[in-house]
Amino acid sequence: MLIGVVPFFAAFIYALGYSFGLLGVLNNGFTTRFWQSVFESGEFLKSFGYSAAIAIVSLVLSIGGALWVTLKFRRELDKKFLSFMMYLPLAIPGVVAGFFMIQLFSKGGFFARIAFQMGLIEKTAQFPDLVNDSLAFGIIVTFITMLIPFFTLLFLNVYKNERIEELSILAHALGANANQVTRRVFLPIILKKTWVLIALYFIFLLGAYEVPLILGQESPQMLSVLIIRETHQFDLSKISEGYVVAVIYTIVVSITAILLFLPKQKNVYET
Amino acid sequence: MKPNWKPYILSLIVLLILFPFIFMVLLSLSSSWRFPEVLPGYFGFKNWVTVLGSETGLLQSFIISTVISLSVGIVSTFSGFLISRAVFYHKKKGILTLFAYFPYVLAPVVFGACLSYFFLKMGLFGNVTGVIVAQFLIAFPYALIFFGSFWNKKIKSYEDLVATLGGTSQQTFFKVLLPLAKSMLLICFFQTFLISWFEYGLTSIIGVGKVQTLTIKVFLFIKEANYYYGALSCCLLIFPPVVLLYFNKRYVFKNLV
Repeated sequence: MLIGVVPFFAAFIYALGYSFGLLGVLNNGFTTRFWQSVFESGEFLKSFGYSAAIAIVSLVLSIGGALWVTLKFRRELDKKFLSFMMYLPLAIPGVVAGFFMIQLFSKGGFFARIAFQMGLIEKTAQFPDLVNDSLAFGIIVTFITMLIPFFTLLFLNVYKNERIEELSILAHALGANANQVTRRVFLPIILKKTWVLIALYFIFLLGAYEVPLILGQESPQMLSVLIIRETHQFDLSKISEGYVVAVIYTIVVSITAILLFLPKQKNVYET
Repeated sequence: MKPNWKPYILSLIVLLILFPFIFMVLLSLSSSWRFPEVLPGYFGFKNWVTVLGSETGLLQSFIISTVISLSVGIVSTFSGFLISRAVFYHKKKGILTLFAYFPYVLAPVVFGACLSYFFLKMGLFGNVTGVIVAQFLIAFPYALIFFGSFWNKKIKSYEDLVATLGGTSQQTFFKVLLPLAKSMLLICFFQTFLISWFEYGLTSIIGVGKVQTLTIKVFLFIKEANYYYGALSCCLLIFPPVVLLYFNKRYVFKNLV
């Protein structure tokens, strides 16, 4: 266990020491000015809100899409070819997805060329900002395209394991209509069985790095991008502020991990 | 009669899934593709020949990525398997498993930024060994959590039965536990291999640009606006996982829920 735990706590203590001025080349001793500076500038809170908003929007749309695909196409997706097709997007890492989105949605990209050929635009500047934009359109679309296949496969698996098909037939036999079966049987079971993974994916998206690095804007930035920008900048006096953000982020995800996984430990292996 | 729209939607979904793969291959075969042309000025194997000539070091990056991912996959899988057994039989397995989640949920790049000082002190900064160790630190908790579902009362009963029949702990491990865990070991290896293969942030921090894996190369090409080589790097990055997924797909999600 030391292999997993010691580096985590060592990293946390180092970041904590740096954030309070106890470590670092230009730091002289304990101070809280870096913490004050971070909260006064408001950049962290803005970045946190921005990251959380992107993560929530991406998750809601992805889960909605995956639920719809599962509900409508579960029988078709059982076939060998289509089943493999759903797995294919899992082979695309974030860095490739980000690169692909640039190729599609940038001002000189694939859709801009098509828009030009169709006479919709006359120069690249007229094409809307869809990457590195203020609404994080590129980031959200990338997350959605990466998450929908994953959640679809997950929901299909739960659908089979929890025998939702049989339960739906039973509900129909007892007089429920299709709408009621979806709302009272399908959705509650699927969401109850997968909510921990959904919460885990919220944390993963909150700390996403590659996609917002390629497709994000200068300000506000997503948390990981902000932390790396601050801890790797040339102005050494500002590095401590980066570690303040890293400490807060680590505390937030650690508390979430405790809330998600501690109460369930008693029964998790009782199979 | 109500029209059946499902085949059209399914065809659209398949097209959308295949589109990035086809686009990347076509882009890697292109050059002189200037705005507003919809088709490239050149289409052929020039870029691929250049790569095989190793002018850009892409082949080296492919080999480095393979070595790193194989090392991380093998070491994480076996250490995760062995240590998860000790965790399961421990009195405080709940707390120990919770500890494993901390490095797992933390963004690898932030983890790397906070750990870089220690790597520097240990001489693991900017070399392949350092990158392997750093990636192991995030792949190992995954393996540990993954094998948590393997150890249960049934497995314990098997172990007790072998002991009752006079089997040694070595025989239990090699003749009972390993065969039982074979498919899970394989899946875990694939997963940890992919964690390492797709890793960018941690590698860029600990490798400081000196360890140029394929993901690092893709970023370099994006920065240089060399999209053709970027697409080529993407092809090298995504096709090995496609092959792995083909073999892996039957098992992956059974263990997630």
